[in-house]
Amino acid sequence: MPTLTIDNKTVTVPEGANVLEAAKRLDIVIPHFCYHEALGSVGACRLCAMKFLEGPAKGIQMACMVEAKDGMVVSTQDEGAVDLRKHVIEWLMMNHPHDCPVCDEGGECQLQDMTVAGGHGIRRYGGLKRTYNNQFLGPFVYHEMNRCIQCYRCVRTYQDYCGGTDFGVLGCNQRIYFGRFRDGPLESVFSGNIVDACPTGVFTDKTFRFHSRYWDLEEASSVCPHCSLGCATIPGARYRELQRVRGGVNKETNGFFICDRGRFGYGYANHPDRPRIPRIGDREVSWDDSLEEARGRLADIAHRHGPAAIALLGSPRASLEANYRLLTLAHHLETDRIAFEAHPERDRTARVVAALSDKNSRSLEEIRNSDFLLLVGADPLNEAPMMALAVRQAVRRGAGAALIDPRPVGLPFHAVHLPLAAGRLSEFLQAVCAGTFENFSRQERTILEGIAERLRRAQRPILIGGGDLLGAAGVRDLLRTSEKLSKEDRPCGAALILGGPNSYGAALLSGETSDFNGILDGISEGRIRALVCLESDPFTDHPDLSRSRSALAKLDLLIALDCVPTTTAEKANIFLPVKAPAESAGVYVNNEGRMLAFASVFDPGTPIRVTGGGDHPPRVFEPGTPRNPPMSAWSVLGALQNRRESLNSLRREMEGEHARLAGLASLDPETDGRRVLPGGGRFEIPEIPAIPTEEKAFDLISIQSLFGSETLSAFSPVLDPVRPVPRFLMHSADAAEIGLAAGETLRVTTDRGGFELPVALSEVMARGCLFIAHLKGSPVDLPFPGVRFAARVDRRKES
Amino acid sequence: MNLWRGIKGSIQPFGITFRNIFRKPSTIQYPEQKRTPAPRFRARIILTRDPDGGERCVACYLCSAACPVDCISMQSAERPDGRRYATWFRINFSRCIFCGMCAEACPTLAIQMTPDYEFSKREPLTLVYEKEDLLVDHGGKDNEYNYYRHAGIGVVNPRGGNPDEAPPVDIRTNLP
Repeated sequence: MPTLTIDNKTVTVPEGANVLEAAKRLDIVIPHFCYHEALGSVGACRLCAMKFLEGPAKGIQMACMVEAKDGMVVSTQDEGAVDLRKHVIEWLMMNHPHDCPVCDEGGECQLQDMTVAGGHGIRRYGGLKRTYNNQFLGPFVYHEMNRCIQCYRCVRTYQDYCGGTDFGVLGCNQRIYFGRFRDGPLESVFSGNIVDACPTGVFTDKTFRFHSRYWDLEEASSVCPHCSLGCATIPGARYRELQRVRGGVNKETNGFFICDRGRFGYGYANHPDRPRIPRIGDREVSWDDSLEEARGRLADIAHRHGPAAIALLGSPRASLEANYRLLTLAHHLETDRIAFEAHPERDRTARVVAALSDKNSRSLEEIRNSDFLLLVGADPLNEAPMMALAVRQAVRRGAGAALIDPRPVGLPFHAVHLPLAAGRLSEFLQAVCAGTFENFSRQERTILEGIAERLRRAQRPILIGGGDLLGAAGVRDLLRTSEKLSKEDRPCGAALILGGPNSYGAALLSGETSDFNGILDGISEGRIRALVCLESDPFTDHPDLSRSRSALAKLDLLIALDCVPTTTAEKANIFLPVKAPAESAGVYVNNEGRMLAFASVFDPGTPIRVTGGGDHPPRVFEPGTPRNPPMSAWSVLGALQNRRESLNSLRREMEGEHARLAGLASLDPETDGRRVLPGGGRFEIPEIPAIPTEEKAFDLISIQSLFGSETLSAFSPVLDPVRPVPRFLMHSADAAEIGLAAGETLRVTTDRGGFELPVALSEVMARGCLFIAHLKGSPVDLPFPGVRFAARVDRRKES
Repeated sequence: MNLWRGIKGSIQPFGITFRNIFRKPSTIQYPEQKRTPAPRFRARIILTRDPDGGERCVACYLCSAACPVDCISMQSAERPDGRRYATWFRINFSRCIFCGMCAEACPTLAIQMTPDYEFSKREPLTLVYEKEDLLVDHGGKDNEYNYYRHAGIGVVNPRGGNPDEAPPVDIRTNLP
């Protein structure tokens, strides 16, 4: 731990830190561009010059390139260093255009700040400015190359950190150019990060283009609601409209970057059809009337059919507070019919994770520092993209990675891939435990033995599993395997990808209650007459749509609370609008079991863009905000129980009720969150009927797609250009057997009906499998992820 | 002492009044008579146009950021040709204190102050001026300046076509 003196202040930094980081610890601001905490330093911008007076380095040096050593004495205000910085900023500005007023970066531009800090004001250079032509980089990122100052941050982000291959640096001499090698949109699903990384306005957010200035935005620390990882985000809103999302910093989860779904999938909050007024049937009513009606009709049903005739359905995308209030609403109504996930298999999976993973659960930071990662049935780029980046960082540091998955999984890092059929994943995990691979073919055995050997030798191995493909039993096997492989001095961790941002939290609350299938049976048999849906959509999120739809049609009363226009919201007898994640404060528990608090960014209301029809906002004064009734889901559910409370008192109550949620009340959105306490105990997985295997039947598996499956991002129009088209994916050898070529239409018959879709072929996938990417809101009734059934295939008969 | 001051204080004002009876009055009969304000007088704000007739305002929000009383609001957007413009622009003159900060902040010389000080209204809402009310069809105090001819991002002129710019570089060449 070297101790050094900077500007007469002494600081001790960890071994290996550079002098710029040491200065940052002392809150000494030194202009710099190319240094970034996640990307490291390259010494390209020449701006962080300091004068080294004592110690191993002498004279004016770039602080980011000098490792801090004991006894160094450094001056940042030395005349020579200040003069050098002034000249460097002047030459960086030499070719920079005069366009700050029409640049979206203006106000949050590091180049503006550093120019002012460097003391450069008047342009002295009289020669011609260098110019470039721009590229079209797709629907998300806008390119303005004239503004570039050649700090290489975009390349280091896009290529080195995120593993993109289609974008980089071109040219030589005075013509260094940052762009794509060919025409076309950026291919990486982390492309938005170059917007955050660019210190000036070369890459700006196209969805936010010319919308607002940074200083006009309402911003707060938030958590991404699109997958189970809980990445930190900073949404920005203005004029009652969520206008952009940028990556937040959480060292334990995402680090600094986020994926494109988290960044550009925010349109749901401004959706033009978003229901914002409480409704009884089709009639818009006030909050008092709707709550009175809901209370009255629930009491009426409880009176006529008994309290057990009321069922409640929570959601993995509702906050922990809202789900808890739903649970107390069940107690209040004296019913035990409550489930927290419309998808029973995802429900079981989450409960297994919440019950069994405690000591061996690993955060993304621990994945980044792991030395061997085994991914089983996980497609991180589609299910939880930042997980793929975390593994990539580990691989960049020398870790090994292997993937056992039937799909042709694309990964931003090198991994050994063995396409094993979905039904054999559990068998593989048990074989890893036992250490023998006798049931596998010789070729498979060679690969698997290699993987098992590396797993044994690794010091910090982590097993990563995808909840959808493994299912509850597979997840249990994976957690047991990680326990088996753990030794006293060498623990083996596990990380699982779950269904929603709060799947873990919802599972914590569910305990031993029945799943949603039990509730559906009750509705079909007429025992359950009323259903309260909290931010869930059983009409489209249940794996068996015909079963759920026919059952739900029999309900006497459907109460829905939501912030997006789902089918359930549309069909509800009583609809209560609630705040979108960015509008309310709350807590999610991510896949690791980490409680992550998020703050309210803005108050809901119809955006001015909508009320003014894109033109002038109205010229009349109104005492209130137009259409602002959405309330936090927890307060709506509290009102149904005649409670009036603050978020803090609710959190204190939850802490008292659930021992595992200790520390909830003092959780701060600015921090890295806090793990829930261990102590889940056992969760017995009910017997699930095996899939009937037929001769010549294919295993049809519905899988997630990054821009198509998740509910909230499905309501974001910005993502429409990148949504996948529905199609089947099958092994080229299987296709050859039935004489099918890529692009031809395949007819698939299952016991749930048939599909006719074009087919794509792959060679790196398991034989006998057929994949279909789930697309929310697609005209084809595609099955929900995590569903497998037997399918018979044949070519479509040409008529 | 106090008595003398009292007597003096009673008589002296009569003297001053008497002296001023014969001086030329400094007041004028407004509104029949009007004064010409100084050229840099700060009153009603206008939005000017560039010499080519385009709106100068690029809706950069600097005026609304500079405004100490928050009376300027706007929404920026992009025209098909890449020009940034204000879809709506509103100044609430009932709140404006005519400090001139907005005109000073404006990087495109769009917002300018005029000497037109006569616009008090009975209804506060009629003092809320929209873009159509603010736009004039001249360049105000500087008729020559067109911001986009200096911006260097190729909106009015093609990229690299401004006088102080080199033509776009060819990134595919390896020649020195």
